[in-house]
Amino acid sequence: MGDIAFLDRAPGDVLARLGDVPVTAGRFLADVAALAARLPEAPYALNLCADRYLALVAFGAALARGQVTLLSADRSAHRQRELAARYPGTYAVADGVETVIPAVAAGAWGEGLGANFPIPAERVAAIGFTSGSTGEPAAHAKPWAALVAAARAAAARFGLDDAADQATVIGTVPAQHMYGFETTMVLPLRAPMAIHSGPHFYPVEVAEAVAAAPGRRVVVTTPLQLRALVAGRVAGVSAFISATAPLSPALAAEAEAVLGAPVLEIYGATEMGSIASRRTVEGEEWALYDGVALRAEGADAAAAVVPGLPEPVPLSDLVEMGGGGRFRLIGRRGDMVKRGGKRASLALLNRVLSEIEGVEDGVFVAPEDLEANPAARLAAYVVAPGRTSAEIVAALRERVEAVFLPRPVVLVERLPRNAVGKITRQKLEALRDALPHGVPAHGETEGEAG
Amino acid sequence: MSSTSVMTVLEAEVAALVVGALQLEVRPEEIDPEAPLFGEGLGLDSIDALEMALAISRQYGFQLRSDDERNGRIFASLRSLAAHIEKNRVG
Repeated sequence: MGDIAFLDRAPGDVLARLGDVPVTAGRFLADVAALAARLPEAPYALNLCADRYLALVAFGAALARGQVTLLSADRSAHRQRELAARYPGTYAVADGVETVIPAVAAGAWGEGLGANFPIPAERVAAIGFTSGSTGEPAAHAKPWAALVAAARAAAARFGLDDAADQATVIGTVPAQHMYGFETTMVLPLRAPMAIHSGPHFYPVEVAEAVAAAPGRRVVVTTPLQLRALVAGRVAGVSAFISATAPLSPALAAEAEAVLGAPVLEIYGATEMGSIASRRTVEGEEWALYDGVALRAEGADAAAAVVPGLPEPVPLSDLVEMGGGGRFRLIGRRGDMVKRGGKRASLALLNRVLSEIEGVEDGVFVAPEDLEANPAARLAAYVVAPGRTSAEIVAALRERVEAVFLPRPVVLVERLPRNAVGKITRQKLEALRDALPHGVPAHGETEGEAG
Repeated sequence: MSSTSVMTVLEAEVAALVVGALQLEVRPEEIDPEAPLFGEGLGLDSIDALEMALAISRQYGFQLRSDDERNGRIFASLRSLAAHIEKNRVG
C-alpha cells in the first residue's frame, strides 16, 4: 500500500489555536521534531496529555519515531500500570498528571519549520481500548491508513474541507477517547481546520474558545455536555457534533432552537471508528460515511466494512438496513450498557458484584433511560447480610469504572430468582420500576427525558 | 476522623445542593465536610462534576472552570467547595 504522509497541510495553514494564539502546520512539525528527538527508544508511547495540542504533538512525535500510541482517557495510576504491564517497554508522555511509569514531559518547542515525513499505510499508529468481556480492556489497533481514510470521510461529511471557512474545532471530548482522537487529533492532520487546545470541560470554557475563534466554529461534544451548553446558552457556534451516546431528539431540537446551530450526530465505536452521521432533528436514519459499507450478519445484526481495517467489525447495536447507505438502530446487542462514552456488560458487572466478600447474591439494573438521560445511573440489588451499601460501593470501585458504580445500592433479603436460578426479564423490570425515582436533574430542559 | 466537624450554614446549603442535584442516597447532614467528594469519599465522578457546575451556576450565578479544579482543590471536600462558592458567588 505504500506510504501516506503524516501531514496533508500547507506549512502556513493554521493547525491549532492555543487560546487565541495560532500555530501553523510548519511550526507544529517543528514541535513534533523537537519532542521526537527527546523520546526514548521504545515500542509504545502512552499519551496522557490533557492539553489537546500537546497530545497532538506527542502523537506526531511517536509516529515520527515509529512508535505506537496507546490511547487512554483514563489517566489513573492503576491504568498506567495495567497498560505498562501489558505492553512491555511502554513509557508515558504527560503534561501535568502524576505518572507511575517511566515518563517524558510533553511540550518541547521547536524552531523554524519542521519537515513532513512518510508513514507506512499499514503500520499501527494507535491502539484504543474498550472494556473487555473478561474485565481486562480489549485493544483495538488502528492502522495509519484507516485513520487517514476516516478523517477524509469526516471532513467531506461535515463540510470541513474548505480552507476559506477558517474552521476551528473545539472538542469537549478527551483527545484519547476514540471519537475525540479522530475528530480533534487526526482530522487537523488532513482537513483545513484548526483545533483549540482547551481545556473545554465546562460551558464557560467552550464559550471563551468559541469567542476567540475567527471563522466557522464546530463544537465536538457529547449529549451530556450539549445539555450543559444549552443551559449555559453558549452562543456563536456554527455547528455541533455529538457522539458517545444517543442524542434525544428533544434535546437536539432544543439545542438547535436555543443555540441557533445545526446539531449533527456521529455513529461509531472504538473498534471501528466513526462510520455514519445524521442531523438528529431530521429523523432517526443514519447515513454511512463514504467508503464504509454495512454487511448483514443474520437477523438484525451487521458488521461494518471500514477502509483500512483488516476485518469487518461487528456492531454492538441491532440495525435495520435501508437503501443508499442508510440504516436505523433498533436495539442493543447482548447485555451491553453504555454511559459516559464507556461500555460494560451487565453480566460482567454482576459477576464482579457477586465476587465481593460478603455478597451472597446481586444484580445490576439499568434504567430504561440510561443513555438518554445524563442523570440516570445503574442501580444494584444486593443480598449481603452484615455489609453496608457504602462497603459494597467501595469494593466495586476497585474493579469497576466510576461511571458504572451503582447508585443506589438496595440491600434486600433475597433476589426474585426462579426455579432454575434465573431472574426473569419480567422480574428485572419490576425491580427497575421499584427503584426510587429522584428529581430528573434536567432543570429547564423540559421533555428531554426519553 | 473528622465526621464530627460542624458544618457552616453555607456548607449545609451546598450539601443539600449536592445531594439534590446528584440524587445521592445520603442525607446532607451525613456528609463529612472534610471528606473527598470524588473517588473514595462521596464517590462522585466527572459526569457529576458537570451536573454540579450546572447546579452551582443556577444557584450561585458563577461558572466552574477546569483550571480551578484540575488539581482537585475545589472538589477536595464539601468544605473547599463551599469556600470556593463563598469567594465566587454573585449576589
